[in-house]
Amino acid sequence: MSAEAITASVSQLAPVAKERDRFALLALPGLLYLGILFALPLLILLVKSLINAEGDLSLAGYAAFFSDPFNLSVFWRTLRVALLTTLLSLVLAYPTAFAMVRAGGWILTLMLVAMVLPLSVGVIVKAFSWSIVLRSNGIVNQALMGLGLVDEPVRLLFTETALVFGAANIFLPFMVLPIYAVVRQLDPNLSGAAATLGSGPLRTFLTVTLPLTLPGIIAGVAFVFSLAVSMYVIPSLIVGERHQNLAMMIARAFLFLRNEQLGSVIAVVLLAIATAVVFSSALLLRLVERRQR
Amino acid sequence: MLATTEAEARGVVGASAGTPADSHHLVIRDIIKKYRDLTVLDTLNMAIGKGEIVSLLGPSGCGKTTLLRAIAGLTDTSAGSIKLAGREITRVAAHRRNVGVVFQSYALFPHLTVAENIAFGLKARGAPRAEIPDRVAASLRMVRMTDLADRSITALSGGQQQRVAVARALVVEPELLLLDEPFSALDRKLRETMQVELKSLLRDKGMTAIFVTHDQEEALALSNRIAVMNRGRIEQFADPVTLYEKPATGFVLEFVGLSTRVSGRVTSAADGQVQIETAYGPLQGRGKFAPGASVIAAVRPELISVARDGESGTGNAITIPLQDVMCLGSKTHLYGTARDSDLIVAEISGTAPLAQFTPGQSVALTWPSDSTLVFPAQGQ
Repeated sequence: MSAEAITASVSQLAPVAKERDRFALLALPGLLYLGILFALPLLILLVKSLINAEGDLSLAGYAAFFSDPFNLSVFWRTLRVALLTTLLSLVLAYPTAFAMVRAGGWILTLMLVAMVLPLSVGVIVKAFSWSIVLRSNGIVNQALMGLGLVDEPVRLLFTETALVFGAANIFLPFMVLPIYAVVRQLDPNLSGAAATLGSGPLRTFLTVTLPLTLPGIIAGVAFVFSLAVSMYVIPSLIVGERHQNLAMMIARAFLFLRNEQLGSVIAVVLLAIATAVVFSSALLLRLVERRQR
Repeated sequence: MLATTEAEARGVVGASAGTPADSHHLVIRDIIKKYRDLTVLDTLNMAIGKGEIVSLLGPSGCGKTTLLRAIAGLTDTSAGSIKLAGREITRVAAHRRNVGVVFQSYALFPHLTVAENIAFGLKARGAPRAEIPDRVAASLRMVRMTDLADRSITALSGGQQQRVAVARALVVEPELLLLDEPFSALDRKLRETMQVELKSLLRDKGMTAIFVTHDQEEALALSNRIAVMNRGRIEQFADPVTLYEKPATGFVLEFVGLSTRVSGRVTSAADGQVQIETAYGPLQGRGKFAPGASVIAAVRPELISVARDGESGTGNAITIPLQDVMCLGSKTHLYGTARDSDLIVAEISGTAPLAQFTPGQSVALTWPSDSTLVFPAQGQ
């Protein structure tokens, strides 16, 4: 690049950068709020997790946590449940998003309302209604027995399967909406164009539809996984104390065991998982979108 | 077989009389497409020879895009049959039809580069891997896009995107190419360049092609024959000169070219000649109508001779005050003060007469009664 070209490009960039500086000020109130009420306590938590009973700085808390087989099993179970919940909601949400775009009009409005309205009902009500549906004399068991498929009630409540289904239901909007937003932008003629070029439905899905909807999938997966990995109320109501996950362990450590270091350690571990998911999905999104530019 | 004879009279079935329709490259028979109560394609017939370039011309909502999608297999039909190169394709899936489409939006794959877009169809059809790069390169040369092979689609201009869309559709060597308003996204100047370019490209390849358009100038520029569509049917399928000089219906008359047309009532009829009473005086024209029938008498503007009031001519003559005088460069249009939905327009060549005619001035318009076309009034 010649010297003139560089100066030209710099002078072109300069006003944009200045503009951005001014607009950055708009984020200040939000940043202050988050900084004082959120980042600071997190920092204290991080420090607490690194200080042992004698008041010295050490990684002993982490070593202790990861050497305990019970803790490890909770760690893996939390990840497994979050992963299964994410997968289930993805499988349910993906076709739903396409149906919404195709439906359009008042059916679309109805679906959007049906999707968003339950968010205002609150997690507790929804988790509790799932426990009504799944309990031994609940709707599912009565239907199974009525059909003669089972002779006595099946244990549904207090199982991991029930938790995954309940959680996927509650988090569904967070998967549907980002995918819907991407599908809506797709030129509806793309799959037709692929077909006239000789591409069958499966090939068209794998080479056109899936790559183009990937940004929505990544965003939805990031949302639902980070929600599912840290959920507390839903497992408490659907599975109860029998099923421990990281969030419940944190609560137990702080509230019952009064072990602040253990609680802090688990909180930091959970935070690390969520951060990893958010950052890797952001990175993935950039990669995918750069390819599509 | 009333339908067939009517279709033949309108030129809908064969390019040349007496040719059996099955020898045509594309044969569409009695296609019907209904969406619930709405009939979009109404027992439509059409036949196109190999290497022919035709246009489907009609107002929006006439069913032309639906017909195109039905031929491509992107819309299923309620009844009728479509044959391409002797093969019955009515129930064949779009990806097995070998019909190329250039979409109005171009529908290029935004996640692929120019070259990858063109290679898409070759890969989907299982072309030998070693062949693909050469065929893509040849295709890029054909549309003069070699330098932009690795560009992303979103970085291209409208004209470039159209070239890629054409190259992508042609590289798989389809039996038939369909183009849905391919120039509508381009500005006027670029549109004309691209029309010339595309037409010669299709001719060189001997490609059979159907353009869908609502723009009659575009249809005239691109195709040898034009099918004028209205309400799911083909009103007339003929070469441009026939469409202009012998429109089969009042709709074709109105849609193709400009015409003077006045409504009236038949007073007497004999030997294929009718006398018509209009608000501007009696007129004579050709046609078979019963006395009392509501009709529209029409004539093309350039067949009218214009004289200042007081002078007279032969044949049909009306005297009327001028409403407007429009200079269009090489010709001038004189608009008479017409009633209701009538339109009275005469064309004179050159710009010189402009000074002679001013709005409000009364003029005498005359034309031969032989050139007067008579159609049933709309809605009858």
